[in-house]
Amino acid sequence: MKPSPLIDSALLEKLERLAIRWQKSFPGLVGGHNISHFAGPGQEFLDHRQFHHGDDLRAVNWRAYLRLEKLFLKMFQVEPRIPVRILLDCSNSMTTGGVSKFDYARKLAAALCYVGLVRLDTICIQPFGERLGDSFLCGGGRHRFIPAVNFLQDLKPSGRTSYFQIAREFISTYPQRGLLIIISDFLDDAGCERPLQYLSDFGHELDLVQVWATEDREPAWEGQLDLTDAETGAKLEIGFDDAARRNYVEAFDTYARDIQRVGLRNGGRYVGISTATTIEEAVFGPMARSGGLE
Amino acid sequence: MFFLNLSLPEFLTILGSLSGVVVALYLLDRMRKHHTVPTLRFFAATEKPPVLKHRHKLQQPWSLLLQLISLLLLLLAIAQLRLGSPARSSRDHVLILDVSPWMAARLGPNRLIDQARLAARNYVNALPLADRVMVVRAGVLATPALLFESDRNKIQLAISQTQPGAASLNLQGALDFAQRAQRVQAQRPGEIVFIGAARIPSEEAARLDPPPNFRFIPIAGPSEHVGLRKMSVHRAMDDPDAWEVFFAVKNYGTAPRSIPAVVNFGGAPVATRRFELGPGVEESFSFRFRTRARGWLEARLASPDAFQRDAFRPDSRAILELPPRGVAPVTIYSAEPDLLRPVFTAIPGIQASFLPIFKYDPKARTGVVVLDHFAPSSLPATDSIWLDPPADKSPIPVRSVEANVKLNQWAADHALGAGLRARDIELSSAEILRAAPGDITVARSDAGPLIVARPGMPKMVVLGFHPIRSGMKYQLTTPLLFANIIRWMQPDAFRSWELTAGGAGTVDVELESETAPNTVRVQTEDGKSLPFTIEGKTLRFFTADPGIVRVLAGDRELVYSLTLPQPGDTVWRPSNVKVGLPGRAPLGPASRDIWQWLALAGAAGLFADWILYGRIDRRIRAASGALPNEGWRKAS
Repeated sequence: MKPSPLIDSALLEKLERLAIRWQKSFPGLVGGHNISHFAGPGQEFLDHRQFHHGDDLRAVNWRAYLRLEKLFLKMFQVEPRIPVRILLDCSNSMTTGGVSKFDYARKLAAALCYVGLVRLDTICIQPFGERLGDSFLCGGGRHRFIPAVNFLQDLKPSGRTSYFQIAREFISTYPQRGLLIIISDFLDDAGCERPLQYLSDFGHELDLVQVWATEDREPAWEGQLDLTDAETGAKLEIGFDDAARRNYVEAFDTYARDIQRVGLRNGGRYVGISTATTIEEAVFGPMARSGGLE
Repeated sequence: MFFLNLSLPEFLTILGSLSGVVVALYLLDRMRKHHTVPTLRFFAATEKPPVLKHRHKLQQPWSLLLQLISLLLLLLAIAQLRLGSPARSSRDHVLILDVSPWMAARLGPNRLIDQARLAARNYVNALPLADRVMVVRAGVLATPALLFESDRNKIQLAISQTQPGAASLNLQGALDFAQRAQRVQAQRPGEIVFIGAARIPSEEAARLDPPPNFRFIPIAGPSEHVGLRKMSVHRAMDDPDAWEVFFAVKNYGTAPRSIPAVVNFGGAPVATRRFELGPGVEESFSFRFRTRARGWLEARLASPDAFQRDAFRPDSRAILELPPRGVAPVTIYSAEPDLLRPVFTAIPGIQASFLPIFKYDPKARTGVVVLDHFAPSSLPATDSIWLDPPADKSPIPVRSVEANVKLNQWAADHALGAGLRARDIELSSAEILRAAPGDITVARSDAGPLIVARPGMPKMVVLGFHPIRSGMKYQLTTPLLFANIIRWMQPDAFRSWELTAGGAGTVDVELESETAPNTVRVQTEDGKSLPFTIEGKTLRFFTADPGIVRVLAGDRELVYSLTLPQPGDTVWRPSNVKVGLPGRAPLGPASRDIWQWLALAGAAGLFADWILYGRIDRRIRAASGALPNEGWRKAS
């Protein structure tokens, strides 16, 4: 395989050891690698239950019937194929900072995409800004990775973020529930806690990956600042000193904790990553330790 | 309080410029900055009303003040601010020690150099401890023994290692060197001190121009002295076995002296002479004596009583080594030796032997072989002269044999034809030779070359006619031609020698004619080449070391035995200069350096500014900063 410009081949080799995991039990076609709590046409025996009219006669335990003269139906464990969707923030707020959060998020998305492809998962990369962009669906093995990388490289950041709008569009566009990995800075002036809650309520399992640059969390500036919002273009003139910086960091951390609370409350995960962390450290560090990747 | 490195205007100019730069950078650093941020929601939460309404208003005046004060302290350190009076600050002195040969003279039990070293130590001890001293040894060259140094041990060591040299004193050169050293290297020029006997040539003493900061510490030497001034030997023009010897004796003292002089060759006296010398009078004496042998020729001022009174002996004796007279052996193989005998016996410096043709020995490897009208089967191994060889066996091919040939052209520009100016010579019969490339045509007729020389090893000259049997028999040209040929073949045997005893330093040599520098060699005793210059007929070379130097120019060799010291004929006594040791300075430095403390305080101020108003805390926090809740959290 040709080395990817987003992720070097050495990291790709290491990523082959990982697999994407989720907690919820989703219905789906056989062929996945995550066990579902739902019974279905699987290979592994799960339990017996009473036979009801309409049940498949092929699942009747005839040996038990001969011995007990009662019809018992064998139930099997299902390993369904679940769609993994990666929501990638492509708004202008991702372009600020010394190290571009957008590039960092693309690399993270590429790494997760490669992990899924190796395990024969179906990956859907869904860029979003104010609205959902054109998605890219790939599956069937690692040889589909290069088109996914090309798709990621062709993405351009633009516009602002509107989580309400994209949550609405996402629910209507993707009725099948599954794992939803959102890579974003989650900086929406309207707030993103409620839209995320809606997505979770709809049945998706949320993996929230918050990416920030160092100066996003703790600006090193001092004195009189003329600030411009990267998405809205709004201006703000403030005097910034150590006390203001402390307030800023506290507000940022509070907001990050709110996002984290939303993710954890609904059975999902949350991770906050600084762009100062390398992709390899992020994947094999906090993300792998959480159980989202094994 | 004063600056050592900068003047006050320079200091103020630099301080003003730097302060301006600092203030400008300060204002630039604190002007309103524009940034694009991902969201304003967190800034809005911390928003404070803008503090600055005007960009030039100082936001942190104490930081600026601290920076300016620190800058001032650092600049003061660079300017090397000293506490005390500038008149009493440390100075840089140049101590010139006379190392001329005269400093080896004794006055009482001690040599003059010992007294000079003692005076130098006393002078250094009289200086303030912070003063730096450069030690220069002044002979014909001024050689720095120690650069400006305040370490007294190093200065004393450099003084104690100073010894008399072989070359005479060039005092003006030493003073010029000291002034240049003070201009270039001294921080604050002090005195230029000369310690020595200052015995220099009277013409140099008249020209001497001491600098204003000059101090003279004279070392009194012996007043009465007689010595050899010069000695030279060369061969007599009219007798190659005779040497003409010349030497001069000078009375340097103030009283008339009667000094006997003896000249020995090989230990045997060859001449004696008593010089009656008045004060400051120089007399010379020349004589000739004959010898072919090599040996030592020694001129000595021989009176034991005079030596007892004389304090400086090195110029009481001069020795030259006379070379043996060179003789070139010439072997003539001829059937008619009587024809050639008058020619070869007339040439001085050769030893001719005549042998019949059948005794020809091709293995002879020394001298010159003359082959008269015959050609041997094997060529001679040494240089050879062929007289009218058989046409078919000539070593240089014969083009034709012509009758009634007129010899009308000589190669006057070559050593072989030098001085040969005969009128046209009629030859009844002659072989016309064919010269090869590289051959030298010594004589020719209209029909072609008649005498051809072939350089190489061995050399060869072929005459296409017999000079005695032809019209050249009674010409003066004939012995001169053979003399030229033998001189060309055996130059060592005809080398003229001149031997001179003198002192080391710059030596001028008068050449006989304008000579190309590539034909001249100047070598020391061990064969090393010395650099030299030639201007017109004057060759000039320099050596500071005593020894023998040979100058080889063509067939002339001049040998210089530069071992005869040349004390100056007068003792320099300058007027209007400080003389003697200075008064002892107070112990301890007159002014105190505080630049170290100033630099330390300036650095501390900048560091404090960095800590108090800089970004150190922000950088530390940024380096360690991360969200406390960073990491994946499992839902279950």
